[in-house]
Amino acid sequence: MQGLVLGASGDTFGHVHSLQELRRSASLATKVFVQRDYSEGTTCQFQTKFPAELESRIERQLFEETVKTLNSFYAEAEKIGGSSYLEGCLACATAYFIFLCMETHYEKVLKKISKYIQEQNEKIYAPRGLLLTDPLERGMRVGEISIYEDRCSSGSSSSGSSSSSSGGGGGGVGGR
Amino acid sequence: MVVRRVHACEMLQDKCPWLTKAISPAIPVYNGLVFLFVLANFSMATFMDPGVFPRADEDEDKDDDFRAPLYKNVEIKGIQVRMKWCATCHFYRPPRCSHCSVCDNCVEDFDHHCPWVNNCIGRRNYRYFFLFLLSLSTHMVGVFSFGLIFVLNHMEKLGAAHTTITMAVMCVAGLFFIPVIGLTGFHIVLVARGRTTNEQVTGKFRGGVNPFTRGCCGNVEHVLCSPLAPRYIVEPKKKQAVSVKPPFLRPDLSERQITVKISDNGIQANLNRSKSKISLEGLEDTSMDVQPPLPPKGDPSKYSELKGQLGTGEEGSLSPKLISPPTPAMYKYRPAFSNNPKVHYHATAEQITMQEGHSQGALIEEDGRSLDYQSEPSLDIPSYRKSSLHKTYQSSPLQIDSFAINSRSLSLKSAGRRGTEKVPLHPIKSEGAASTPYKSIFSPNSLSNRNGSLSYDSLLNPMSPSGRKCITHSAVSSVGYHSPYLSAKMCHLRGSELQRQPPQSFSPVLGGPAPHQRDPSPVRYDNLSKTIMASIQERKEMEEREKLLHSHPDSVFADSGVYDTPSSYSLQQVSTLSEDPRSMAMRYGSRDNLMAATSFSTRNPILQSSVSSLSSAMTRAPRTSTTSLQADLANNNVQSHQALQGRVSNGSFKSPGHQVPSSPTGMPRSPSYGGPKAVSFVNTVEITEVQSVGAQRDDMQLKTPHSKINGQPKGISRLGSTSSSQGTPVSPARHSNVKKVSGVGGTTYEISV
Repeated sequence: MQGLVLGASGDTFGHVHSLQELRRSASLATKVFVQRDYSEGTTCQFQTKFPAELESRIERQLFEETVKTLNSFYAEAEKIGGSSYLEGCLACATAYFIFLCMETHYEKVLKKISKYIQEQNEKIYAPRGLLLTDPLERGMRVGEISIYEDRCSSGSSSSGSSSSSSGGGGGGVGGR
Repeated sequence: MVVRRVHACEMLQDKCPWLTKAISPAIPVYNGLVFLFVLANFSMATFMDPGVFPRADEDEDKDDDFRAPLYKNVEIKGIQVRMKWCATCHFYRPPRCSHCSVCDNCVEDFDHHCPWVNNCIGRRNYRYFFLFLLSLSTHMVGVFSFGLIFVLNHMEKLGAAHTTITMAVMCVAGLFFIPVIGLTGFHIVLVARGRTTNEQVTGKFRGGVNPFTRGCCGNVEHVLCSPLAPRYIVEPKKKQAVSVKPPFLRPDLSERQITVKISDNGIQANLNRSKSKISLEGLEDTSMDVQPPLPPKGDPSKYSELKGQLGTGEEGSLSPKLISPPTPAMYKYRPAFSNNPKVHYHATAEQITMQEGHSQGALIEEDGRSLDYQSEPSLDIPSYRKSSLHKTYQSSPLQIDSFAINSRSLSLKSAGRRGTEKVPLHPIKSEGAASTPYKSIFSPNSLSNRNGSLSYDSLLNPMSPSGRKCITHSAVSSVGYHSPYLSAKMCHLRGSELQRQPPQSFSPVLGGPAPHQRDPSPVRYDNLSKTIMASIQERKEMEEREKLLHSHPDSVFADSGVYDTPSSYSLQQVSTLSEDPRSMAMRYGSRDNLMAATSFSTRNPILQSSVSSLSSAMTRAPRTSTTSLQADLANNNVQSHQALQGRVSNGSFKSPGHQVPSSPTGMPRSPSYGGPKAVSFVNTVEITEVQSVGAQRDDMQLKTPHSKINGQPKGISRLGSTSSSQGTPVSPARHSNVKKVSGVGGTTYEISV
């Protein structure tokens, strides 16, 4: 009963002929932006509200979980604690030459975030035709989710459906 | 200045031997260290990226550029802060961000552009700048004092080279002492208060509260100890590409349906609801309905009637299957009948399940037995399911009426009347006997349903949950509460009629109403899909709006009736009106000012009446700042209706009933520079939008009549689109959290947290 309305459409995708699958490609349909949540000041947090465009693409709970995890990462990165204090002292003591050798706490967390986003993309978002981009590329002002639409193209090469992740987008963004 | 410092240091080196010998050997070390510190911090302040935001891509601001308002409000710790659109960088500047004209960049936590270091001071390098100032001050103090000591000790040889030079150095140090110490002191105060130079100089928090402060200690800690923020201007790095290949997974709708059900009162909440409604009706309104042979009819009749509502032909098919026990002794098996229709009415998934569960609960019989009954009608029902929606939609004029707030009562009455007509027929028969067993069916204890939650407890007790549910499903605010019962009653009656016909044996009493079976079934809110109901409602809204427009051409503030009737619509419209004129008035620097103005002038005056009527509705709205709104409306009549259009097009009317109450609740009042005013309605609108299912459809339909207007008003459409875009996503999350405030410089957006 439940599947009666939508289930069909969901199933058709999976049951498409393999040939068609090969020829299918995904085209970027639209982008959804996850805005920053400034309710706690300038600490880096993103709004967990579910964009309407994703209503039919992904479960609400998955999306919220992703955003919440990202928020927790950022909170950890910006946490003022013993480690950040020590790092500052060390940097001062070495006349900031330490920055040439060592990466800061924030940068470490950013690497974690980037890995997390990559993993989320691979596991959850790409199978649903979505792609998360690292907010860092946009100056942490906004998070971006690219929505891809399935577009059957006859005769297109089998590789046509792959789309590079934000890496490509980063190249465009970085052009400053 | 730094060069002088360096010179001074070199000079000091000459004195150092003496000082070293005279006072302490640590002096050169100390001086060296301080000097090194000064230099390091100076270098960091000069060469470090202050926190420059990269330019926004075109895709990010594609609908922001020309139609976006200049300011966007955000609430930070309860205080409204205005974010300004940066035309160069193409985004709304985050709080505390400012655009540096020298560097031509937006800088995060912008402090100032320092000419001494020839760099902006922002989030990343403020600490180094501050430490530079501190260390420089310390260094200057040190140099001056040591020089003084030296001179004082060499007073007799003032003409000597060393002494002269020392004195020169001291003079220089003394000269620069004042500005450096002054600046250092100034920044110490800023750090303690948690402000930036920019904020201090522009007087942003002069009279108000600084939302960014963390307390004195917290501020100092934040400046000195917070981790170094990352650079935003990153070089493009090679990232592992994630391939996005179809087929794509889609979220399972069934999950959502399930969720909906579960969110109800319980597993079979929907079931309970529909059932409760029906059964309650049956219970309440007529133990008469129960009528002896028909009590089962009551149940099954409900369902069958419902089914009949859903479709025309199917009714008959069901009836033969329902074979109510002819004798009172069989009453105990009546539930079986109610089981039959279990599948019907699944116009929406929820409803279908409702029926099922309901029937389960309603029946006293054991599961197996009920199953038997169910099996029969269920054959018909599946076919109904999909078509039922349309059928119900088309078949029953009452359905439409039921959605309309105004006409609902009429429909209900008619339904009630019809029901009552039939009712008397039934009581004739074994009332006592019938009613008793019938009631027993509904008694909580007698139910042996598979779904425990379906017990008639829910039926007996709170119609509210079920009523509520039905309302939710029907997307009608308060309307649905009563109607389901009545309609259930109708169904009940109808069902009984249906039952009567084929099984003539036990429906002598019902012979009368038999022909009613084929009448268009009364509305069953549960049965209709949300979209259908929404469209029905929307039609109703439009009709009401039309009436409103005609009825209140020029009464801007007089008509309170406007408020009530197309309340939802007018509210929305008014909100757009209020929103727009204000924003228009405010948007002195808006990008689209000129264009909007011209576009407004071309708008058709036809809608002005609607605008005025809306504004009148607006005045009734509790939260509106009527005075400002009125003034704005008067001034911007033409514009307002455009705003209206943009707004309306984006908004949808959903349940008007909800809109009215929700606006007060949904409007969070937060201290702001500008004051929320009419914006609250936008909140309301958006809030209500959530509730309705067919929002998109409604929008489209609304747009068509105003298509001319929609496209244009840049600012307004942006308002509408943004609000809608914000509203729609926001509302599902929680309508109550939408906050819209109008700031001093114009407003608009509400930020939902």
